[in-house]
Amino acid sequence: MESIKIKKITSVWIITVLLLFVASIVLGILMRLNQGEVISQSPITFYSNMTTHGLTMIGIWFVAGMAAVNYLMQRYVKTSYTANVFALVLTVVGVVLFWASTFVGKFHAAWTFLYPLPFKDMGSETWATILFLISLTVFGIGWLIWSVSLMAQILKKYSISQSFAWQHLTKNPTVETPPFILITMVTLVGVIACLITAVVLLVLFYAEYFSGGSFVNDALLMKNLTYFFGHTIANEMLYLGLAVIYELFAEVSGRPKWKTTWYVALAWNLSLVFILTAFFHHLYMDFVQPEGLQIVGQLASYLASLPAAGVTVFSIFIAVYRTKIKWSLTNLLFFMGIAGWVIGGLGAVIDSTISNNIVLHNTLWVPAHFHTYNAMGNVLFSLGFFYWFSTQFTAYFHNKKFTNSILALLLIGGTGFLLAFYVGGAESIPRRYSTYPAELSVGVNLATIGAVFATIYLIAILMFFFNITKRCLKILSSTS
Amino acid sequence: MLKNIILNIIAISLCNLAIAQSVSSDVKEESNIYEQIYDAPINVVGKGQVSFQELYNQKPLLLALVFTRCSGVCNPFLFQLKENLALKTNDKSFNVLVLSFDPRDNMTDMSLLAQRFELENNEQWFFGTTNSIEELNQSINFYPIWDSIKNQYDHDALLIGINNQGYITKKLIGVRQGHDLDLLIASVNNIFSPTYRLPNKNMLFSCFNYDPKTGENKLGLGLLFIALPAVLTVLLLILISYLVKRKEPKNKEIF
Repeated sequence: MESIKIKKITSVWIITVLLLFVASIVLGILMRLNQGEVISQSPITFYSNMTTHGLTMIGIWFVAGMAAVNYLMQRYVKTSYTANVFALVLTVVGVVLFWASTFVGKFHAAWTFLYPLPFKDMGSETWATILFLISLTVFGIGWLIWSVSLMAQILKKYSISQSFAWQHLTKNPTVETPPFILITMVTLVGVIACLITAVVLLVLFYAEYFSGGSFVNDALLMKNLTYFFGHTIANEMLYLGLAVIYELFAEVSGRPKWKTTWYVALAWNLSLVFILTAFFHHLYMDFVQPEGLQIVGQLASYLASLPAAGVTVFSIFIAVYRTKIKWSLTNLLFFMGIAGWVIGGLGAVIDSTISNNIVLHNTLWVPAHFHTYNAMGNVLFSLGFFYWFSTQFTAYFHNKKFTNSILALLLIGGTGFLLAFYVGGAESIPRRYSTYPAELSVGVNLATIGAVFATIYLIAILMFFFNITKRCLKILSSTS
Repeated sequence: MLKNIILNIIAISLCNLAIAQSVSSDVKEESNIYEQIYDAPINVVGKGQVSFQELYNQKPLLLALVFTRCSGVCNPFLFQLKENLALKTNDKSFNVLVLSFDPRDNMTDMSLLAQRFELENNEQWFFGTTNSIEELNQSINFYPIWDSIKNQYDHDALLIGINNQGYITKKLIGVRQGHDLDLLIASVNNIFSPTYRLPNKNMLFSCFNYDPKTGENKLGLGLLFIALPAVLTVLLLILISYLVKRKEPKNKEIF
């Protein structure tokens, strides 16, 4: 009975995520078409769409990773169905409130809602800011309870040291911590830390909002908290995807399951430290921030990419090099996703280098790198899981033509769409401009090219959506 | 010497007037920053007609807007500016343009004004008029109001920094001291100047508290908020581990 319930709720998560994904891609394409002067949106509409696109994308790929991890964790520990349903309900309620704040209330301070922008009168409805903050609160409560619940279930079976695989750092470990548990635990700790940061941030926002001016916030504190939350959650959702890969890649490829070794344990423990301190690189332009923190930001950005990425790439390389692999759409998506993650990660490291950041700060290089490790990285991790999940419980035959078409469209669409961003970044085209002035006319052409390739990417996602949703609906209607 | 003392007394006595004007006016120092100034043709004493662009391309400009028949702030404003700049004898990185916004002023009036301040032979100072004062005023958001009873313009003492690309980098309203002028000169030369928020009783959780007396930043309570989430997470981890340990046996699986 429990397994039927978890199957069904995972199916609901998948359908919800894919529906919202398609809508968010459409918003992204509309933004690029507006920048390309193919359509004309008012600045408020453009920035409302940008806000909706950004937060929806972050939210759905976080919950996609959580749903996948929750499903696979059943293999090791019993998870809470109630917490899962609670998170789903609050996510849906949160999306409704959030979309109302942007589409109806015209809230348009971007998904980072950097203080004091939400409190500035910029043409949105007076209630839009508070509704936006409430929607964030609803998301935060649902996701925090879900994360804490999963962490508690792990700790029921594994001690703190076992869940972090510290025994693997000694010579003869007597208890094995599966890589999936290790990565999930490391990620959940990071997720909980950044969600608590969001709580602190929201409390400070509410305090100023309801104080009537008798309490004001410190902009530097708010920026630190915003990026502690924003940067960390955007990275942790990638790690949720990696946990899925560590669990499934070898399995679907017909290879022996990966084991935790001392270097895997060390790498992931170090990743936790680095990922929680890398956000300081968002404050390079804030001169009042002590120089020591700026150096920590740069070092952590470099080091965060090395342990997890290095070990994962090494593991994947060893798994496929001169080895007979049973390739399927699932592990091909995982493989492509790893490549996208590494390329996007390199783009991020280039940008986080202080001397480069002076040139690349707030140019299209920024959306270039984060779209690479999301659209061609983390999204593919989750799509790989969705596909694998949907084929577990329904009649399935391998359709090579479908696999090739999907991969080709994703690759062509994704690469073209991202190149338009990278070239724009290299040309110093600023990000977050709804339209470009005459001096930046190259940005107009690149935006149009980007929109065309994003449409190709959307076609692949729509094929995926119909294919997977059909099977998920069958799972929902089945009784076993 | 005596003349300087008298002018100083006049300057100080009129400072309050200048401040009062700046407070009552709608002109804001923040407006039109990083916008391009109107490229007006300027008649410069001793140089003839040049375009504004030619002037700011040559060197960044400090633009002082005055009128020669002013019985109010213009004279103390120019005097204070001259005194402050005289202390920066080696700084030739900018020029000063004293421009009349009164259509009645002609080149003779401006030449006499330059002589009155003994600046007629100073290469760093230009005095001039323009036929396009309305367009220029609009580009800097400066709107003097004619008072027909006093037969004077009601206006602010406004000093504008313009870099060598014609962008307005900073504005100073009123008769200001040397430190403010340093910031203005740095801005026209595209040099970054840090600014600090002064202590505010409504801001309880600052990351740093700036002490204007020492110029130092001290660690503030806000920094604790940045560390708080990580601390709470560790405490939560230990608490959950403790609570579940009391209920469930530990994993003893050997591999």
